[in-house]
Amino acid sequence: MIADAIPTSKKPSSFEVRVLRQDAPGEPSYWERHQITYEPNLNVISVLQKIAALATTSDGKKTTPVAWDCNCLEEVCGACTMLVNGRVRQSCSALVDKLLEENPEGIELRPMSKFPVLRDLVVDRSRMFRTLEKIKGWIPVDGYGDRGPGPRESQENQEVRYPLSECMTCGCCLDACPQFAKVELFQRSDESDAEFGERKNRAYDQAFIGAAAISQAMLFNDHPTGHMNADERLEALSAPGGLQVCGNAQNCVAVCPKNIPLTTSIARAGRQLTWYMFRKFFDR
Amino acid sequence: MEDSSPSFLARHEFLIRRLHSLSGLIPVGAYMVVHLLVNASVLESPATFQKNVYQIHSLGSLLPLVEWTFIFIPILFHAIIGVVIVMGGIPNTGNYPYAANRRYTLQRVTGMIAFFFIAIHVFHMHGWFHADIWLEKVVRPLGGAEFHPYAAASSAGLALQNYVMVVIYLIGVLACVFHLANGIWTMGITWGVWISPKAQRRASNVCAVFGVLLAIVGVGALFGMRAEGSGEKLIEAREVETKMYDHKLESGELVPNPHKRGEGHEGQSEETAQVTVQE
Repeated sequence: MIADAIPTSKKPSSFEVRVLRQDAPGEPSYWERHQITYEPNLNVISVLQKIAALATTSDGKKTTPVAWDCNCLEEVCGACTMLVNGRVRQSCSALVDKLLEENPEGIELRPMSKFPVLRDLVVDRSRMFRTLEKIKGWIPVDGYGDRGPGPRESQENQEVRYPLSECMTCGCCLDACPQFAKVELFQRSDESDAEFGERKNRAYDQAFIGAAAISQAMLFNDHPTGHMNADERLEALSAPGGLQVCGNAQNCVAVCPKNIPLTTSIARAGRQLTWYMFRKFFDR
Repeated sequence: MEDSSPSFLARHEFLIRRLHSLSGLIPVGAYMVVHLLVNASVLESPATFQKNVYQIHSLGSLLPLVEWTFIFIPILFHAIIGVVIVMGGIPNTGNYPYAANRRYTLQRVTGMIAFFFIAIHVFHMHGWFHADIWLEKVVRPLGGAEFHPYAAASSAGLALQNYVMVVIYLIGVLACVFHLANGIWTMGITWGVWISPKAQRRASNVCAVFGVLLAIVGVGALFGMRAEGSGEKLIEAREVETKMYDHKLESGELVPNPHKRGEGHEGQSEETAQVTVQE
């Protein structure tokens, strides 16, 4: 049996969970309180399951189940990212015993603050995928003929790149970033889905790209084959909303659940761009 | 942000931000270091400080050009872009109280303090513009344009007798020093000089030592200058400044310049007026 984090004498019989709810995109948000019976070894996901099962607020009113996203339940997919007691993290790895130890009052759950809320704790992180498109976060190997084996990757390089490849696009780095502002647009009545999508992408492209995409640009720039397109990624990193917006608060690296050296990637991108700009300016 | 085409600032964001980063060190930061060191030379003697001021003013009619090119325009650029940057940030030290995040917020706070302090300081010592009507009708009644380069230590010392001013200068100088020291650290990341967390930690230690030393120079200059503005020291300072001025007039190195000497206008304390009469 796993040792409990809280000694038996201090265990509460129940605890309160405050959830910031929102019924639909653009709707006002509101707080709801839920009283949950304590059990050892709960995590925030199992608390949310209990809330869904009860569907009753702490003052006894019937309510709709709180909506949330989750998938892997082992902190590798990033789907269940939300603000737990004000800090961004995965709710699957947020253990209730630890949270109550830090704050016996209860637990506060909010959706991520920098992404459009779809419902309750579910947010739309498509901006992150747009930034991966922007920096061409892939290795282009498509072609008609066999181009033979690619360049070899050294062990040393592999060890630098592997941690960067662990990024699960959860968005913790962006939510904690003081330079990353929320971009939320709403579809107009006279606008087709495609038009709206284009308008959204234009807005996303103007706004800060953030640590995750900068780090991915370094991951693919360091790849022996990906290196062949390094300049295109650097061009994207120096476009409006690019690396230059970074303010070096370094929250990204502090909150990253995968301990990715994001600030190292940011500084390396800065160095690559310094040389790239020299080359671009003096070689033309 | 929605549909309008990107603004000039947005289109050239990368270049502008890199120039902003560079201008903070060269020339603005470098100028500030020289400025504080020259001011601190008053700790040696008012004559040393006066000599340094004469050296700067030996540029003659070139001085305004040099000042505008290397000081005013870069500071204005750094300040205006800086305000734009501050407006784009959402400080969050409450939820994320990490050291680097606190420095991020402090960098913005000290930047804004520096913005207002430099405006106050340039008004207080120089009056912003040298037009006579402006100086007589607006600046002097408000207690500005107190510094007179040909009576350097005594006029600066007198200007710093007010406690409120001393507090403003103390906060302002320390804010500027922090902003420069921390700015050098972030600049090293921006340009890709220090990359690994270890290298960044070493760099931040070096920047901290630099900041502490510069703060000592700055605070020393402030209180050293203030000390020249009262009592025995004021009389001595006025004496040596008069001697140096007269000597330069005699040798033909200077033509009389009552403006820079601080003669012939109201707003001087009685003590200065007395010394002026003695001349």
